[in-house]
Amino acid sequence: MRAAVREAGRATVHLLTGAGVALLCHLMLGFLMVTAVLTAAVFGAAVLPEAVLTLRRLAGLERRRAAAWSGQPVPEAYEPLTGTLRERIRTAVHDPGSKRDLIWGGAQLLYGMVLLYAALILWGPALLVDGFWCGLAGRRPVLLPLIGRLADVGAGWSRTLLLPSPEARLAERIEQLTVTRADAVAAHGAELRRIERDLHDGAQAHLVALSMRLGLARRAYGKDPETALRLLDQAQDQAESALTELRHVVRGIHPPILTDRGLAGAVRALAASSGLDVAVETGGAEDGPRAPAAVEAAAYFVVAETLTNAAKHSGARRAAVELGRAPGRLRIAVRDEGCGGAEEGRGSGLLGIRRRVAALDGTVTVASPAGGPTVIEVELPCAW
Amino acid sequence: MRVVIAEDNALLREGLILLLTSAGHEVAGVAATGPEVLPLLLEHRPDVAVLDVRMPPGFRDEGLRAALAARKELPELPVLVLSQYVEETYAAELLGGGAQGVGYLLKDRIGRVDEFLDALDRVAAGGTALDPEVVTELMSRRLDDPLRALTPREREVLGLMAQGHGNATIAESLVVTERSVHKHIGNVFAKLGLPPSDSGHRRVLAVLAYLNA
Repeated sequence: MRAAVREAGRATVHLLTGAGVALLCHLMLGFLMVTAVLTAAVFGAAVLPEAVLTLRRLAGLERRRAAAWSGQPVPEAYEPLTGTLRERIRTAVHDPGSKRDLIWGGAQLLYGMVLLYAALILWGPALLVDGFWCGLAGRRPVLLPLIGRLADVGAGWSRTLLLPSPEARLAERIEQLTVTRADAVAAHGAELRRIERDLHDGAQAHLVALSMRLGLARRAYGKDPETALRLLDQAQDQAESALTELRHVVRGIHPPILTDRGLAGAVRALAASSGLDVAVETGGAEDGPRAPAAVEAAAYFVVAETLTNAAKHSGARRAAVELGRAPGRLRIAVRDEGCGGAEEGRGSGLLGIRRRVAALDGTVTVASPAGGPTVIEVELPCAW
Repeated sequence: MRVVIAEDNALLREGLILLLTSAGHEVAGVAATGPEVLPLLLEHRPDVAVLDVRMPPGFRDEGLRAALAARKELPELPVLVLSQYVEETYAAELLGGGAQGVGYLLKDRIGRVDEFLDALDRVAAGGTALDPEVVTELMSRRLDDPLRALTPREREVLGLMAQGHGNATIAESLVVTERSVHKHIGNVFAKLGLPPSDSGHRRVLAVLAYLNA
């Protein structure tokens, strides 16, 4: 009985705030009507985008409320209001989200109030009936849970009305893909410039110096063999430096062991040379066709970076790497038994991981409570 | 010595043949793809095999796999593996069956002709030739505990031992007497808690086992 009363109380509080939102909707709709008139009369046009933004905030509040009550997140998808005033007004009017928000505002105005009244009216009989029913007959309460159902109905309606339309979700997805694609293109450009610079400053410079010394040695060969010999020695040094530089550049472009041994073998090599005691689980990642080179390279980068972090910052002695093959995805999980508290900033390399993974439209989840353990999970879409 | 070469790049292959024949060795056979290697070795039974890691058809680690297969079929056959880059994992795999008659070097080292021929002789005689880059990687990883107690000179000596050099070569490259090399080696083994060991491949094994642990 006591639990039922508490639950009904919680539902009533939820409905009460719902009625509050309904009141705000009332104000909002009035405000919007005035704005519409002002906009029609041109001189109030600047207010319209602001009004739509306020409506979005209100809808956002209701989304959070509905999500908190039902435990199911209610996603949000709007076209961003940016650009000149004219563009902002056009987006504000044409965004399908605006229309849905308006419909919800009108509906919430009604059911927010009605549901609260119904709950308030129900309280008296519910206490009386359930008091007898539970207290004397020892049965379970029947009327009090109904108040909870009323709150369920309210949250359900809000969810249905505020869930973005499929088009809005598509638009948001396109927006997200546009951003990550631009990032990927930028990252690719930066990578090309880095390689160009490395080759230019490194191997190329060494080869110029080498060629110069060979020329000098050739000139000195007849009359000063000793100098010629010294110059040949230096030329050989330069050749070796050029080779070393080239090896570093190649490793930076695509680690050769990835080509040789595939992702599982390359990750095992990383684990062996990390200085930590690393358990590697490759659950099926080795069987069947290999992932595309870009996906393998990103996965290798993620594991290399996280193991370096673990060895450098976490104080862990042991770590575990798990590779998993799922339909259309490659899953990577790296876990270390260190001190946790990994932060995005502070040069932890997490930012680099996020960028690299986002470029391939993948996801990164980081769990690193203070005291550890740190678990980093990455999913990369990939056609196997 | 009779040598079998496996190298797919024609430039490097001709270079190696020129280098080996001018040093008085006989090139008994040449393989240009991975699958040719083992039959060729079984046919010629050379004194030493020089194998490239990356070869057709897959351009992955065919040469290394051939080397591992050869060591299983012909345990006595000395194998020198060359590669454009070195990988600790590959070194560990090659040394897995013992360090006797195993070499693993960067292709860059061929340029130092005398040192390369010396390494080839060492491998053919049942010794070890491990690329300095592998040894540096192994040692940088173990810079925790007892390795830190070594003096810089002792670390140099340890590195050269791990590469497979004998006392005389170590003394020569550090420009010290063989007696002081002997003393350094004694100190290194004492500090790392390894049982004293003469030159020879038992010593290399002990050092590598320590570094790989």
